[in-house]
Amino acid sequence: MRKKALVVDDNANNLMLEKDLLEVAGFEVFVAENGASAIAIARKEKPDIIIMDVRLPDMRGSVAASILRQDKETSAIPIIFVTASVMAEGKEEIKAITNSGFIGKPINTRTFAKEISQFIK
Amino acid sequence: MSGKRSEKISQEYAESIINTVREPLIVLAQDLRVVTASRSFYEVFKVNPKETVGQLIYDLGNKQWDIPKLRELLEDILQKKTTFDDYEVEHVFATIGRRVMLLNARRIPSPPEKPKVILLAIEDITKRKSMEESYTSLAAIVNTSVDGIIGKTLQGDIVSWNKGAEKIYGYTEKEMHGKNISLLAPPGYEEEIINQLEKLQAGELIKNHETKRIRKDGVVIDISLTLSAIKDNSGNIYGVSAIMHDITAQKKAKQVLVVSEYSESIINTVREPLIVLDQDLRVVTASRSFYEVFKVKPEETVGQLIYDLGNKQWNIPKLRELLETILPQKATFDNYVVEHDFSTIGRRIMLLNARQIERGMGKERIILLAIEDITERKEIEDGLEKTRKELEVIKKSEDEAREYAESIINTIREPLIALDQDLRVVSVSRSFYEVFKVKPEETVGQLIYDLGNKQWDIPKLRELLETILPQQTTFDNYEVEHDFATIGQRIMLLNARQIQRVLGKERIILLAIEDITERREIENGLEKAHEELKELATELKRAARVKSEFLANMSHELRTPLNSINGFSEVLYDETFGPLNEKQRQYVNNVLTSGKHLLLLINQILDMAKVEAGKMKLALSSLPMKSLLNEIPMLVADMVSKKKLEMLLEIADDLPNIEGDELKVKEIIYNLLSNAVKFTPEGGKIGMRAKRADSEIEIVVWDTGVGIAPENMGKIFEGFFRVDTPYSRVTEGTGLGLPLSKKLVELHGGKFSVESEGLNKGTEVRFTLPIISGKVV
Repeated sequence: MRKKALVVDDNANNLMLEKDLLEVAGFEVFVAENGASAIAIARKEKPDIIIMDVRLPDMRGSVAASILRQDKETSAIPIIFVTASVMAEGKEEIKAITNSGFIGKPINTRTFAKEISQFIK
Repeated sequence: MSGKRSEKISQEYAESIINTVREPLIVLAQDLRVVTASRSFYEVFKVNPKETVGQLIYDLGNKQWDIPKLRELLEDILQKKTTFDDYEVEHVFATIGRRVMLLNARRIPSPPEKPKVILLAIEDITKRKSMEESYTSLAAIVNTSVDGIIGKTLQGDIVSWNKGAEKIYGYTEKEMHGKNISLLAPPGYEEEIINQLEKLQAGELIKNHETKRIRKDGVVIDISLTLSAIKDNSGNIYGVSAIMHDITAQKKAKQVLVVSEYSESIINTVREPLIVLDQDLRVVTASRSFYEVFKVKPEETVGQLIYDLGNKQWNIPKLRELLETILPQKATFDNYVVEHDFSTIGRRIMLLNARQIERGMGKERIILLAIEDITERKEIEDGLEKTRKELEVIKKSEDEAREYAESIINTIREPLIALDQDLRVVSVSRSFYEVFKVKPEETVGQLIYDLGNKQWDIPKLRELLETILPQQTTFDNYEVEHDFATIGQRIMLLNARQIQRVLGKERIILLAIEDITERREIENGLEKAHEELKELATELKRAARVKSEFLANMSHELRTPLNSINGFSEVLYDETFGPLNEKQRQYVNNVLTSGKHLLLLINQILDMAKVEAGKMKLALSSLPMKSLLNEIPMLVADMVSKKKLEMLLEIADDLPNIEGDELKVKEIIYNLLSNAVKFTPEGGKIGMRAKRADSEIEIVVWDTGVGIAPENMGKIFEGFFRVDTPYSRVTEGTGLGLPLSKKLVELHGGKFSVESEGLNKGTEVRFTLPIISGKVV
């Protein structure tokens, strides 16, 4: 059975690149451009993993993540943050979310899908 | 009948009594009218019976007896007491002048049928009184006199010896009574005493004879002696009185006077007319020049009242004021200018200086009055000869010249202006002309206030020169703000010295003028500037924050599209979604290479900006430098082998761990190694040495490459400076690697230096990193 991945990014190019790389690696990929739709799709599709940009147009990625953590249906889904800022502040924000990890921007196209797969149990 | 008779009887009775008494006696009736008076009364008071008897006593002799005290006696005391004795009345009588009268009165108790009378005895005790007083005062004089008074016989035996004599000679009266006066003669003076006694006997008077006597303690003293004979009623000399005083001190004072004669000779050599007055303002002496200048002769001068000299030409109100009002209070006055029309020499301006001095031991005072005719000088000073005279005056004495020069030096703060006492310009420093844009010919000789279209007529300057300076002779740092005609609104700092040039006469004023307008503006602007600086600092902090925020945003905004470019290029190049032809593959690779270069550039610019803004933070941890320095060269191994370079690593075995930011330290070493590779031609050598040096580690990255020309050494840290060489492509570096590495080393507290012996001589980059970071993070 194909693994489901939800990619959340407001940048269409990033969204497309990440979606393509994951699909090539065999994922069924859902996309969302903001926090609200990400939460909605996650509840509906219950993906195996969520790849989320830290900065979203409607809320911070960590906020969307903590909302998902409060929901039984989505509380266990691993969330991987993609961030350009490797700042301590951003890290703290991410560390507060259970079952989470991060990948730095720009992504390495050659290893991206493999790195994501490692987060799925 | 009976009344008339009894009246007559009582009158006879009274007269019989009265005429037997020697003293003036007067009998008054109850109504104080004279019943009768004694003969002596008429004699003494020079009145006759006709104008006396029947008169009210007060009306006698033109009311000369209307004496308040007598009224009191007769009308008050006698009504109560019936008698009074020895009542003294001092009164000026019309006929006989001031007299002291002793009054005795009785109300005579007569038989009841007889009218009562008052018997008034008047005794003129004026003479007796004055005798008593003179005796009393004489005794007092003798006893208290500082003069010695000695009474002696014609043989010289002492009969009296007062306190003054005791003080002079040291002997008491007891010791000297009966002794011979020759005891007081010092050796060689015995004869003199005998001679004096003989002279007195011959009727000669010895007055103020100066001689010597010997005191009890053996000291010989100078005395002034006055001897006079004491005669009995018949004129026979029976004794001698001697009055003497010690003049030893006066003698000494006289020697001083001899010395003062010397000073008189000085007076005569003095150029200015000088006159010496006694305290009555009579001329004691005058200098030769006085006679010459005022065309008077000594014989018509000495002894004269100064005001009377030369047809009273000196009777000048101002001089009177000086001598009679000012001098008694001040003892001295200087440089008093008197303008007067003298009968002999015409209208003149005289400068008066006076000293009142006490001469000798006594209170005698003399006044030295120096008179200088400054008329000509003033005229000359007004003329063109001023400069020449100036020089003359300067030459007059070395001391004076030195004083003059010193005054100038002490005062100078150019521009400088020298004024005479009339505030006319004597000379001016060159800078004065320059600063105030005036010419010498329109300056020298002018009143200072008139200079340059009266632009110097400043109230504050007038105050200084006319009020303050005469009192103080100097003032410092007086600020005057004024709108000058030639140079506009200026603040001037004035310094002045008033100096005397010729023996306390002529004075000049040195006025130093400094334009402190700019300085004041600077001072005033300083606080403003300080405020602006504070604002600027705040603004700078804000700008730096804005800048770093901007850069952080910019880097995000730039990197986001760039990440897409690089990501898609990479996927294309990998042919993930299908094969590319050779050309397409090459193009995509070029896009990818340029994209990665741009990303590096953006990251380094951001880092540089962060360091410069102080925003770069180090994430310190313990770095195992030995292994780290062995690992990093692996990152350039590909390039090294591609260029067939030889890489030599000399990492000390005991290299300790350091506190540092791992990413930054790796970045530094990578930058330097990749530079070494880039700038070294094929077949060359690169290398790295690392060792411990005290509390630091020292790392050297070297190569045998293109080196750095001396003229470029200063530019390599400026950023974006890159040496174009045949061995390096323009796209390979950013030009920021070296300056950023330097900044990162310094951020760790280390030192960074680059050495090259020149072009194509290779490069050696040396830097240190502290083992324990000095940075607190």
